[in-house]
Amino acid sequence: MPDVVLRGIYKSFGDTEVLRDINLHVPHGYLVTLLGPSGCGKTTTLMSIGGFEQPDRGTIRCGDRTLYDAATRQNVRPERRGIGTVFQSYALWPHLTVAKNIAFPLKIQRVRRDAVRARVGELLDLVELPGIGDRYPHELSGGQRQRVALARALAPRPELLLLDEPFSNLDARLRDRARLWLRDIQQDLGITTVFVTHDQDEAFAMSDEIHVMDQGQILQSGTPQEIYRRPRSRFVAAFVGQCNLLPGVVASSPSGATNVVDVNGLAGPLEANTAERQPGVPVVVAIRPEHIHISPFDALRNGDAATFSATVERTTFVGDHYRYELRAGDVSLIAQSPTQITDTKVTVSVASADVAIITDQPAPESTPPVDAVV
Amino acid sequence: MADSPAALELAHLSSRQRRQLLPASAYQTMVWAVVVVLVVGPIAPLIYTSLRSKPYYLPGSVWTFEPYRTLFADHLFWEAVKNTLIFAVLTTAGSVIVGTAFAVLTVRTDLPGRRWLPWLLVSPIVIPPLALVVGWMSIYGPSGYLTQVASNLGLPVWNLSSLVGMAVLGTVVTVPISFLTCRAALHGADPALERAGLASGASPLRVMSRVTVPLLRPAMLNAAMLVFAVSLEILGIPLFVGAPGRITFYSTYLYNGWINGTVPDPPFVSAGAVLLLVVVSSLLLLRTLALGSEERFVVGAAGATESDRPLELGRWRWIAASATLGFVALTSFVPLIGLAVMSGVKVLTTLKPPWELGTSANWSAVLHDPILHRSVINSLTIAAFGAVLTVALVATATIIAHRSQFRARRSIPALLMYPRAVPGIVLGIGIFWSYLMLGNTGRPLRITIWGEMLALCIRNLTLVYVVVYPSLVRISPSLGQAAAAAGATWWQTTWRIIVPILRPALLIAGALMFIAVLGDYDPVVFLQKPGTELMGVTMLHAWQKGLTGPVAALAVAQVAFVAAVVAITAVVYRRVSRA
Repeated sequence: MPDVVLRGIYKSFGDTEVLRDINLHVPHGYLVTLLGPSGCGKTTTLMSIGGFEQPDRGTIRCGDRTLYDAATRQNVRPERRGIGTVFQSYALWPHLTVAKNIAFPLKIQRVRRDAVRARVGELLDLVELPGIGDRYPHELSGGQRQRVALARALAPRPELLLLDEPFSNLDARLRDRARLWLRDIQQDLGITTVFVTHDQDEAFAMSDEIHVMDQGQILQSGTPQEIYRRPRSRFVAAFVGQCNLLPGVVASSPSGATNVVDVNGLAGPLEANTAERQPGVPVVVAIRPEHIHISPFDALRNGDAATFSATVERTTFVGDHYRYELRAGDVSLIAQSPTQITDTKVTVSVASADVAIITDQPAPESTPPVDAVV
Repeated sequence: MADSPAALELAHLSSRQRRQLLPASAYQTMVWAVVVVLVVGPIAPLIYTSLRSKPYYLPGSVWTFEPYRTLFADHLFWEAVKNTLIFAVLTTAGSVIVGTAFAVLTVRTDLPGRRWLPWLLVSPIVIPPLALVVGWMSIYGPSGYLTQVASNLGLPVWNLSSLVGMAVLGTVVTVPISFLTCRAALHGADPALERAGLASGASPLRVMSRVTVPLLRPAMLNAAMLVFAVSLEILGIPLFVGAPGRITFYSTYLYNGWINGTVPDPPFVSAGAVLLLVVVSSLLLLRTLALGSEERFVVGAAGATESDRPLELGRWRWIAASATLGFVALTSFVPLIGLAVMSGVKVLTTLKPPWELGTSANWSAVLHDPILHRSVINSLTIAAFGAVLTVALVATATIIAHRSQFRARRSIPALLMYPRAVPGIVLGIGIFWSYLMLGNTGRPLRITIWGEMLALCIRNLTLVYVVVYPSLVRISPSLGQAAAAAGATWWQTTWRIIVPILRPALLIAGALMFIAVLGDYDPVVFLQKPGTELMGVTMLHAWQKGLTGPVAALAVAQVAFVAAVVAITAVVYRRVSRA
């Protein structure tokens, strides 16, 4: 069964380069997410797979079929690719009923009438909308439209499903449910899926793998956990959740067993996996606010965590947690915790596993050390 | 699920894949080629004949500029140019002033009836142009009914057959252009600008004159260029109204040169047509460059700002409403009444009450006179066929232009807009020569009504584009992409997704095309032959013979046909757009 493979995709609109050397591997049965801000090229990538955009360079393969190859000028037309697509607007045809919308791909393929009827019923059951086949799209709610769009995309049993921000037209409450529901269907059918979103929560909740994109490039690929815990660039760290970004240099620990980083302005070194970097190399470390543990002053050092004292400069209650603005030495930090701490002087500790080293260097000088918290 | 009948059916799919005779691009190329031939085709013979010493069919013809020299040496030509320019300037000024005033009143103020008055104000668009002209002659012409009344009462009497008189009629005919252009601009403007004026203490009238109208300047310039271009080519007004005063316009100069020339089909008429074409085309090209080509379609946009709090007219409210209604009554309604009365009397005069002069002779002439009768049948036939064929061709070309990957698609909008830049009489001369140069192939076009149909359809095909294009761009491209993702080819997507969604627009386009072909006449004044009479040209000929009664009857018939089409369209539109 097919894996989808994109190799060296480049695309420009006029003078603007919107895709730069996109390489993507979607294993069979996986749900892979392209995550990034608007204009990062994620939809262009998706539409290139669907055949609605034509890259300038590169190849797109699905299993042993070449869908696009710039070198040999091969380009399978969208209608021949056999890919199911759910568009951001859902693109339900307003002049056709729900049943006719879903039946359309089957009719195009000249499927027998009774078989079409059976398949439409089956799909309406699958998307949990039995009995609405005679309604028109304008008579449906947003959530129903999204399900019909999915049913239509799945009707001809495509090998690959493309989802272009399918939740962006739903309200927040519906979105949470829809995303779990869609993930269940995808896993039940085992259909290979490429999903595009700018919403990190959606990406984390649904994906087997995430590719974070910015300015036409894939910055980092990995499981949701890897992306969150080990951001490799300032952009990924800041785009996916909040993050403290602290510049420093690699140093050697007294014991020599683990590598440590001296953060500029912080009293003690932070333990981190510096991955064979030589002492003296400048780096940036990224620490998530929830990974900074706050305890009353003079609490005991726990395990392998780096511990130092700090003052609380501001406490904000944000519903399910407290947000603390801390100052440790010359460094400002953002921390969050479900418990309230009223002391001004506190002890903070960071486990070495929660310290990520960011590789894109150098840090812009205009950026204050902690300012990357977004 | 995998063993369902649908799955088994799908398993056989690859062997039953769709069959295509030719790739979509082949059909697209054919449609494009037809459009190119129709739009550009008639221009080349026109230029050719304007540079030859003798008509195409005579031997011994050589390349020469003589036709242009003949033209420039003729003092009547310069007289016509002068008259045309005076008429065009007066008409443009009148049209822009009146059109802007009505646009501001109906969009930005609390004018009573501002929701339905616009429909009356644009009614001259659907009134057949000759019907309006004949109606005006019956009421305001030198021997018109109200002219006689004024004269009997010893009031000062106007002269419709003067340059100023014709410019008044020209203003009435072109007011919808200015009105719609300014309305579109007003709908697009931010009402907060006016509120800011009110907030700074200005009275509503002051805000109107200091904020609203100055903001309309680009739209007024736009309208002025359009109206000026249209005024240069108007044929009906000088032909019907200008004749008593012997005032010749550019178009009538060409017409008379052709009809009354000492040699048949003189080359200098082609030369004059080429010059008019160059002037009008450059004017409209200039306008397009100045305004951006797509802006004109804003006319179709819904009025998003009508719910905004309008400027209050205060005590001027009812005066303005009466003036607007009075304008519509005097310019459209009364002339149509005059037309109806004229078709039912021996002669329209104040000396005797109309009921003592009643006659059915005019109507029985329409029914029994072979030429008049045939002209009605012919006109209805080509209007119906022309509307259907033009909508099919132009809608397809529009979809190719905006919803396909066809290589030359970007040339299509310009091709479809171009016929509007070709004056009707110029197109008529070009088509006359085109059919002639086609030799035996062109013979069926020369001797049947289908040649005339082609000319009228080419002249008016822009209408279809202007109606279909805005509806098409409102259809999200993802609807077409979804069809492609479902496996539909370009034709399947067009036929099963795009065209059904476009149905309301196609209906409107078809109705407008029918009305236009029925009422238009300038491209066919040189094409009509015994047996191929059409209503417009027949009215022209009958009028010139002094048969005003039958002309009025034909004009009333035209109005009735248009009214019927509008009514049917309204009913069908409701049904079509409900789906």
